[in-house]
Amino acid sequence: MTESAQPITKETDDPNWFKRAVFYEVLVRSFKDSSGDGVGDLRGLAERLDYLAWLGIDCLWLPPFFPSPLRDGGYDVSDYTDVAEDIGTIDDFKAFLDAAHSRGIRVIIDFVMNHTSDQHPWFQSSRADPDGPYGDFYVWSDSDDLYQDARIIFVDTEASNWTWDPVRGQYFWHRFYSHQPDLNFDNPAVHEAMLDALAFWLDLGVDGFRLDAVPYLYERESTNGENLAETHEFLRKVRKFVDNGWPGRVLLAEANQWPADVVDYFGDFKAGGDECHMCFHFPVMPRIFMAVRRESRYPISEILSQTPDIPTNCHWGIFLRNHDELTLEMVTDEDRDYMWAEYAKDPRMKANIGIRRRLAPLLDNDVDQMELFTALLLSLPGSPVLYYGDEIGMGDNIWLGDRDGVRTPMQWTPDRNAGFSSATPGRLTLPVIMDPVFGYQAVNVEADLANTSSLLHWTRRMIQIRQQHPALGLGTFTDIGGSNPAVLSFLREFGDDAMLCVNNLSRFAQPVELDLRSFEGVRPIETLGGVEFPAIGELPYLLTLGGYGFYWFRLPKNPEATGP
Amino acid sequence: MTADFDAQLLHYMSDQRWFAGKGGVSSIREIVRLPWIATADDEPRVRAELVTVVTDSVAQVYNVPIVYYEAEPERMAHAHIGSYDDPEHGSLIAYDALHDRTAIGALVRGFVESDPSGGIEHGVLGDVEIDTDMPSVMLTGEQSNTSLVLGEDLLLKVFRKVVQGRNPDIEVHEALTRAESSEIAALRGWIATVPADGDAGYDLAMLQDFLRSGADGWEYARASVRDLMMEADLHADEVGGDFAAEAERLGVTVARLHEDLERALETDVWKASELAQLADRLRQRLLEAADAAPELASHVVALGAAYDAVATLDTPVTVQRVHGDLHLGQSLRTIGGWVIIDFEGEPAKPLAERRALDSPLRDVAGMLRSFDYAAYSMVLPAEMSSQQHHRVDEWAERNRTAFLDGYASAHGDDPRAHAVLLRAYEIDKAAYEVVYEKRNRPGWVSIPLSAIERLVAG
Repeated sequence: MTESAQPITKETDDPNWFKRAVFYEVLVRSFKDSSGDGVGDLRGLAERLDYLAWLGIDCLWLPPFFPSPLRDGGYDVSDYTDVAEDIGTIDDFKAFLDAAHSRGIRVIIDFVMNHTSDQHPWFQSSRADPDGPYGDFYVWSDSDDLYQDARIIFVDTEASNWTWDPVRGQYFWHRFYSHQPDLNFDNPAVHEAMLDALAFWLDLGVDGFRLDAVPYLYERESTNGENLAETHEFLRKVRKFVDNGWPGRVLLAEANQWPADVVDYFGDFKAGGDECHMCFHFPVMPRIFMAVRRESRYPISEILSQTPDIPTNCHWGIFLRNHDELTLEMVTDEDRDYMWAEYAKDPRMKANIGIRRRLAPLLDNDVDQMELFTALLLSLPGSPVLYYGDEIGMGDNIWLGDRDGVRTPMQWTPDRNAGFSSATPGRLTLPVIMDPVFGYQAVNVEADLANTSSLLHWTRRMIQIRQQHPALGLGTFTDIGGSNPAVLSFLREFGDDAMLCVNNLSRFAQPVELDLRSFEGVRPIETLGGVEFPAIGELPYLLTLGGYGFYWFRLPKNPEATGP
Repeated sequence: MTADFDAQLLHYMSDQRWFAGKGGVSSIREIVRLPWIATADDEPRVRAELVTVVTDSVAQVYNVPIVYYEAEPERMAHAHIGSYDDPEHGSLIAYDALHDRTAIGALVRGFVESDPSGGIEHGVLGDVEIDTDMPSVMLTGEQSNTSLVLGEDLLLKVFRKVVQGRNPDIEVHEALTRAESSEIAALRGWIATVPADGDAGYDLAMLQDFLRSGADGWEYARASVRDLMMEADLHADEVGGDFAAEAERLGVTVARLHEDLERALETDVWKASELAQLADRLRQRLLEAADAAPELASHVVALGAAYDAVATLDTPVTVQRVHGDLHLGQSLRTIGGWVIIDFEGEPAKPLAERRALDSPLRDVAGMLRSFDYAAYSMVLPAEMSSQQHHRVDEWAERNRTAFLDGYASAHGDDPRAHAVLLRAYEIDKAAYEVVYEKRNRPGWVSIPLSAIERLVAG
């Protein structure tokens, strides 16, 4: 446990805690198996909380662990208020949650509003008994002509958003897979069912929800079925419900849209936001990859300059990789072709409109690039969301189906099953990575812990620096340009805390001259080593950076005496 | 004492990048000292001075604002000009005013306050606000002017070599700003001397938006070439630093700029007689170039045929104000896209020629030549292997094509549909480059010369 960690109690509750938090997405099935059945579980995750506290994680995000036929990584939920049998029990969840809170770690869980599994009893009842209590829980139609303006999201597998159900003799609507029928939000009973499920988990003590696929809740003719007014109205209802009963809990929206549309999910600007507290900033992620490949800051600078202001009580969430593919919906066609060509040389690396790789293999396992990317993640505006395993540079397995290639077991040790499970290797939920570069014998937590210059130790140090500087969480963001297009430089400022972040996106050494007039006389202090740099003078400030090098400078407002 | 000061001033000026008389024999013919600019205190005193320098019998007027102190401020040593005995204020020490924050404040105050003094006047376009609390900063790397960033978002570009009459940089920027062109950094104001006795005044400086996110297009393009050359055998479209998408967007920007210029300023149509005159002018320039650079002599006949083709064009050519000296170094990549800067025209030409109407293909040809230059600027052609030649040619061709594609998509008139005229302008530009390199960078002559050879063949 770190010294700074305080147990989460009512007294320590800061309603804006999420603005400074470092998030960590962890797949329960892939993290630690305590029972030896080959599947990661909640008890296993609880065993590893000390590791996560040591790393400096403030909040865990758990993707769905509900009962599910697992045809979409658990996002096909068949019971909203229980835990999947192979993962544990509600009591296990409570024990895990208490253990996390006692270490100062919060927990948010995924919640899938838009659709259920076709195995959910609601759907089974709806198709069997159109006039019964669940008859109107889903979107049924006699024809498949309605809502033709809504795009098909999973273009690899689905030909239509409508699928014929032979039992009911009607078509049902689904924005995602055909085994995931969309709930009918025009039915007030669906609202009640959703709020009841949320209350169940809030009462257990979860600190919030990541709301999956929120733009698609409603369907209306002659619209694309995304971001409709009715959807926002429902989110305001959810927010009010949560705020009234459980203040301090957060709603994090997954709305894979352009920032100008996403800001609507924060809700009313003047009220400080009355829908979701946080939204993922999707386009910034592919832009980071593009900027480094192009050795140009413009892909990042452009998207940040196009990002509107958000209400005061709201915050962005940013990430480099997560359990889904590297999403390329939010880039132009030309950019997408480029990203495909650059990062998905094998067709199996492509999924839907994205790329299914982990960070390390995407970056050719180049530590300099991994550090640069992580430094950007931890310093750009928004709360960073790390993906389990990326802190040790884990690899992926592109030969696994769907997006399972980036969901392989966490690599703890060089022992059998990477220390993930004591099961017979053949029983593992997904095989561990065994290739010569990323295999668990080489890449594992134990080895990285023993080596203080490892990526893991470095990441921990960077998280510590971030936590010491409120500017990196709460501060304003100012792109300060500079003479060299390969170098991205920006200021983060909050009160007296000012941080200057300078990032060389090129593989070659680069000089850059920065206009830092407003800090004339200040001596920048490099935060990783504490070394004081020459004072900022009247002329542009000259820095040189190695390939993929970066600096995080503290700019002390009142220059301190430095003599002996 | 005056002679002493002149000598010190000339010495200071000849060390500056903007001084054109390097390498020649120069002397100061005249210094026109404008009245003092009103300041709150007596120290320091500031005024604009127009210094006429004769170099090898060619006269050039320079704009040199000077700040005078009674005691020597330590921090100003780098801008020290010399000692000056003022008839009224006695012994003073002179410094380049553009290095002094107090003096800069005095020079720009007229943009926000209207009490004329110092024999200069300030024009403004719209509302101008200058953050005077924030110190200004001088931009490095400029050749013929001196630019200062004022506050967060204004740029004061001080012209050093000045002529009487409206500077085309101000004229074009003003017209484009009024036309709300988004392809430029908008003009906010200018400083000129108060005209006397019916003479036109001198334009001393212009104030425009400072594009903080901007980076030089020439360096940006070269970074792409460098990236390519670091790979052993990848093609230009396979390298991370591929520039083609930027080149295409730049083409769009230049096309839009031409449309804005056509809308905002005068146009004309060249028919057969004007085209014949154009061909004559081009031929004349080619002959002059061949005199200065014998390497061109063997190509004169073949290139002249390209000009003959211009004279026999049977479709009229629309002409308009153009940039006149367009190359990658005149483009800035900003967060909002590409922006074109510096509308002074080719500095060596007389003012009337710089303002003359021309085909926009003149600018297109300039940019095409610039891609060629960028490709060859990392490794000189003489030092390249044939593999390297092939690869940089591929880069140049890819980006020239992308630029033209972008231009055609935005303009509706594909420059490639006017191959005769475009080729003529490219030849003209390349011939000019041969002479320029021969005089200034002999090692680089082969860059435009190999282009000439290609143009002869094609």
